Amino acid sequence: MFACIHGADANRLADSFSPFVEMVDEKTAVFTVTARQFGAVKHVQAQVALAATAEAAILAARNLPGYTFIPPGEEARVLGALSIDALPPDPELFETFHLWGIRSLEDLSRLPADALASRLGDRGLWLQRLARGAFERPLRPQLPAAVYEESAELDHPIKLREPLLFLIARFLHDLTARLKSQSLAASSLHLTLNGEQRRHGLPFPTRDVKLLLKLVEHSLEREPPAEPVAKLRLELIPTEPRRVQHGLFTPAAPEPEKLELTLGKIRGLVGEKNVGYPELFDTHRPGSAKPSGALLPFRYFRPPLEAQVTAERLSTRMFQGKILQIAGPWRSSGDWWRPDTWNRDEYDLALSDGALYRIYLDRGLKKWFVEGVYD
Amino acid sequence: MAAAFPLGWRQVEPLDTLFAAGRDFPRGRISEIVGTRSSGRTSVLHALLAASTGRGEYAALVDTKDAFDPCSAAACSDAGGVELSKLVWVRCGGNAEHALRAADLLIQAGGFGVVALDLAEATPAALNRIPPTAWFRFRRALESTPTILTVLADHPLAKSCSSMTVKMPPRRAVFTGRAPFLLLRDAG
Repeated sequence: MFACIHGADANRLADSFSPFVEMVDEKTAVFTVTARQFGAVKHVQAQVALAATAEAAILAARNLPGYTFIPPGEEARVLGALSIDALPPDPELFETFHLWGIRSLEDLSRLPADALASRLGDRGLWLQRLARGAFERPLRPQLPAAVYEESAELDHPIKLREPLLFLIARFLHDLTARLKSQSLAASSLHLTLNGEQRRHGLPFPTRDVKLLLKLVEHSLEREPPAEPVAKLRLELIPTEPRRVQHGLFTPAAPEPEKLELTLGKIRGLVGEKNVGYPELFDTHRPGSAKPSGALLPFRYFRPPLEAQVTAERLSTRMFQGKILQIAGPWRSSGDWWRPDTWNRDEYDLALSDGALYRIYLDRGLKKWFVEGVYD
Repeated sequence: MAAAFPLGWRQVEPLDTLFAAGRDFPRGRISEIVGTRSSGRTSVLHALLAASTGRGEYAALVDTKDAFDPCSAAACSDAGGVELSKLVWVRCGGNAEHALRAADLLIQAGGFGVVALDLAEATPAALNRIPPTAWFRFRRALESTPTILTVLADHPLAKSCSSMTVKMPPRRAVFTGRAPFLLLRDAG
């Protein structure tokens, strides 16, 4: 049975009966009760109703004084005397009801359902089911946000990685089991060692312990803790699990779990910032701008090569040659308000070594650089 | 087998044209694109990556010398350009050993349409440190996978392990206009 309390202190009163309470509005609380609790509910100092459906209990508690018990199957009879205005407001339908001469819930519940549906659609049918007290829905309790974390303070600080991973693995097993019980997965992993937090964003929601443990292991390999670990805290940030539907004709793609581990290993090799997906920005900055048309394929020298340029020759520490043809200059500048502003004159030149280079004069530094080669 | 494309291209032909001529990059094998600066080797690589990502596949680029230009790759005329969101870019800061290791890991991960290993401009000393067995290991790892491993270099490196070598001869620049008002039109 569903119980509904309508009154100024509804939330507190409902909490004394059940931890799972749905607050319909500030003054109306719905929860489920067992037969043992009927007597206690009856003595609550507020408008209270017990019914087989949540919506019937809400209608009765809001509109009938004192305590109301609606026996199963009697909802339409008990609620019938209520005014049509007791239903959730719908100005358009209420105007139609008014024109039809419908004043009470009983009037509405007596209309044939098929005819009502053909004239007023799903919304009209839903209001009639509310009026009959026959609309069934599950309770939607507001649960406090669960925190999925485990922590430990160790008497003997851990120096070695393996025992630390053993402890983390135990935490991960517990936390992922809790996530699984709530049909959730982790979107991020926060590991705090001696007060220093490491955040690992996951590219997809997962509760795969092996994968999470491998990610932590790679992180510890890349950046071992500075001191033996005495305090440890692990938190998983919950989210909805990933749902993937595979197609017969979709091209093969790397398995996300395997790819994340692979990229983790490569990050350990070449550095965190050197692995990723390239992205262009909405800017005119050379090298970052979104292209507006076809461009000649280009290769950069990173960092640009400092060059000595005369009217006839170009020389750098890597190559030198006679300038055969030169096009330019193209002057560009931007981001003057930032420390990394640019202000330069660009040239395209064909050198006697057969290659085509893009060079520029940095107008701030008054120096020449070779930016790269057209290829 | 070393197959040299007929060149003298004004611009790199769309890769579809090459495919139509029956010259596809073989899957599950090592291919090489070799040439000097401005020979068009990067154009072919961009076209290959564009064709792969255009088919919905994921591709990976191991960039030994941090030379990749996402702007020109996205603006590549083939297959609508490289779809950057499907391209994993690994920058190795000039370390050829790291590049080989990264390529090995990406091949082992599987699922990529193309893994491109850009060793162009790498120093001879760095290239000399690559053991010949590395190419045999790549060839073995690629077998029975649909992945194309493409090596971009100044000269052939994989030798007998490579199934196809595309040699790009030097090209001449095309400028239009009259001096001093010239405009670079094409690198070929």
